[in-house]
Formats: sequence, structure tokens, C-alpha cells
Amino acid sequence: MQTAKSVVITCAGIGSRLGLGTTKALIDINGKTLIHWQLDLFKDVEDIRIVVGFEANRVIDEVRKYRPDAIFVYNHDYFNTKTGTSYYLGAKDGNEYALEYDGDLLVHPDDVQMLLEKEGEWVAYADKRSEDAVYLSLNEKGEVTGFSREHGDYEWTGPCCLHRDRIQYTSGNVFNVLEPYIPLPGVKVRACDIDTYGDYQRAIEFIKGWK
Amino acid sequence: MTKFIFDLDGTITKCETLPLIASHFKVEEQINELTKATVAGQVPFIESFIRRVYILGKLPASEINELLSGVETYSKVVEFIQQHKENCSIATGNLDCWIEKLSGKIGCECFCSSGQMENDNVIKLTRILKKEDIVRKYKDEGHRVVFIGDGNNDVEAMRMADVAIASGLTHSPAPGAISVANYLVLNEVALCRQLNQLL
Repeated sequence: MQTAKSVVITCAGIGSRLGLGTTKALIDINGKTLIHWQLDLFKDVEDIRIVVGFEANRVIDEVRKYRPDAIFVYNHDYFNTKTGTSYYLGAKDGNEYALEYDGDLLVHPDDVQMLLEKEGEWVAYADKRSEDAVYLSLNEKGEVTGFSREHGDYEWTGPCCLHRDRIQYTSGNVFNVLEPYIPLPGVKVRACDIDTYGDYQRAIEFIKGWK
Repeated sequence: MTKFIFDLDGTITKCETLPLIASHFKVEEQINELTKATVAGQVPFIESFIRRVYILGKLPASEINELLSGVETYSKVVEFIQQHKENCSIATGNLDCWIEKLSGKIGCECFCSSGQMENDNVIKLTRILKKEDIVRKYKDEGHRVVFIGDGNNDVEAMRMADVAIASGLTHSPAPGAISVANYLVLNEVALCRQLNQLL
């Protein structure tokens, strides 16, 4: 077994495309906030690192109810930077491997468990589902070979996992952090990310039956 | 080497020491008024500190020293310090004559303010610690510096440190401290985990 992974949940963004007037972490999905659903997925992980920016205090107040032992990481420049920056900031003083989990993402609990047990570096993807997605391509070995906003076999949703020392600073997205290292092992998951109101409605359907 | 510099009040101790002294010697009213004005920004921190020492300096220093030696501390934080004495130090604005016993119990190097003593009273303030000076000293020696604090008087040191951890163990950190912090921790489990990761 490798050393326990850090899990970096990136919740710094404004969530402007969603139009619900609140940071995505705090949107209500079947009576629980999105961040609460996510924390439940990682309840057995010791090192939970929540990257905060927009509405940081509200996110912190929500997280501390369930994980007072979380480490909060500030992305003070959240307005000018993207999730790749938050991944870098969240991972740099954490454990040897850092699993990145977007604050707007829901992954099926069984798949999360499988990912937590998976060693080394990898990139997770899902069937095309969201309205405003980045796609990825695979080679014959099932490795991820590229990202694109126009075309690809699957939707890039994350999560992903890299060795801490390979997570370089970028002001861009998480896939920009991954690009220098592709091909990387790919893992298919059942996932739903929430960028738009349509995604939000799909997420409510997606989690039906979860505990 | 990584050097960890800890604020004392509310970061290592479970309460702020100033209200404790004020309550023990029944000078709360004077101290509270001054604290209120300081927090509201009407009295600058250094001026507030000088006025505070003027009030408390007339009290028996040995009794303050004894009182503070019994203050409850965060056991996991103290344990980390004691296991890594070479890496750790305390930076506190408190006077040496008031916290000598407490810092002795914690067991690492302690940087603090100093006063001239006469008949168990502080008759003159001789040095006010600027915590950022300690950060600069260690950085000049080539160390990576981690500063753990929560107050307005920690802000410059936190800004200058390589890694700044805002400690919310006792109360919410000052907004200024948050604005320069890399991390916020709300309990000692989180703090000690982050400290171990930074070793």
C-alpha cells in the first residue's frame, strides 16, 4: 500500500454558470449541501484538504460541522485562477499522493471507494453527460491521451491523482496540470459534475438511492 | 531545516492569558476597555501593549508567572513541540518575567518582550518583540519558516513566513491573519497533521 492519499476538494470558485446565487459547495441536493455529500464520500480519509476562496467563511462553517479536522487551504486569488491552481495549493504540503476532487462533482460511492484503493497516478472520466464539458481521448491501452473542448470519447470529470511533486503551478484548469504527463492510466467512473442548472437537475436524479 | 514558530496565546494555550491575569487581579475593567479600543482600531497595537504593561506591571510578576504556569495548553501541540524541540520556538509579545515558567514547561526556545524589574514589578519596558524579526532571522539562516498564529500581531510574521497557518483552535483568527494565511486549522488534530506534513 502507498502512503495514505490526501484528498483535495477544490471549492474556491464562484460558480457563476450555475445561477443559484451561492457557491456550489453550499447548494442543496435532496436536503444536504453538495459539500456534505462529498465529505460523506471521503469519511474514512484522514487528510481532507478543502481549498476555499469565494464565500470561504460559509464553506468553512459548513465543513466544520462534519469534518472539524479538515485542513482549509486558501486560494486568495480565486477570481483570477482556476481549479488547477487550487489543486496545486491544496496538494503542495500534503501527503505523497494527492487526489483532486472538483467541488462541483458527484461520483458514485462505490467508484470513489475503488479510486481510493487504486495506487499510483490515474485520471478518472465518465460517459458524456454534462452540458458544458471538456472531453478526453483514450488509446488502446485505456490510457488518457488528450483533452479537448470540441471532441473526445468520454467526458473529463475527474477525480485524478498525481504524485505531489509533479503537481506544478498553473493559473488554468486541472487538466492543464495533467497534460504534461499524458498518457496516464484512465479509470471510468459514474460521475456527474454540476456547471449549469441542467446539470444540477441531473445531479438530483443521479444521487437517488445513495445513502 | 524547517523552523516552526508558534504564537503562544490561544495557539498553544487554551485561553488568552491577558484576560486571565486581569480577572485574577481584578483589573478587568481597565483591560477590557483597552482591548475593546484596540480591537476597534482606536488604539494601535504597540500603544495598547505599552499601556497594558503599565497597568499589569504594577502587579507582582512572580504571581503572574505562577498563574500562567498553570494555564491549560493543547496537549498534542505541546507534544509536537517537545518531540521536535530543535525545530520549534515560541514568539510572544508577553513579558519574559510573566511567562518564564510556562515556556519552561513547554520546553522550546521562547522569544518574548522584556522589562526591567524592581521589587517584583515591571518598572520599564525594555524590548517589545516584533515577531517578524524572528521569521527574518531564521530565513536569513537559510531555514524554511512556518508560522502558526491567530492575532493581529502575528500578521506581519505570517506574511513573511514561507508557510502561514492561521490557528482557529481557541477563537476565529483575526481577519488580517486569515488574509495572509496559506492554511486554516480548527482543531489540534488538523494542526498537528499539517505540522508533521511540513517537517
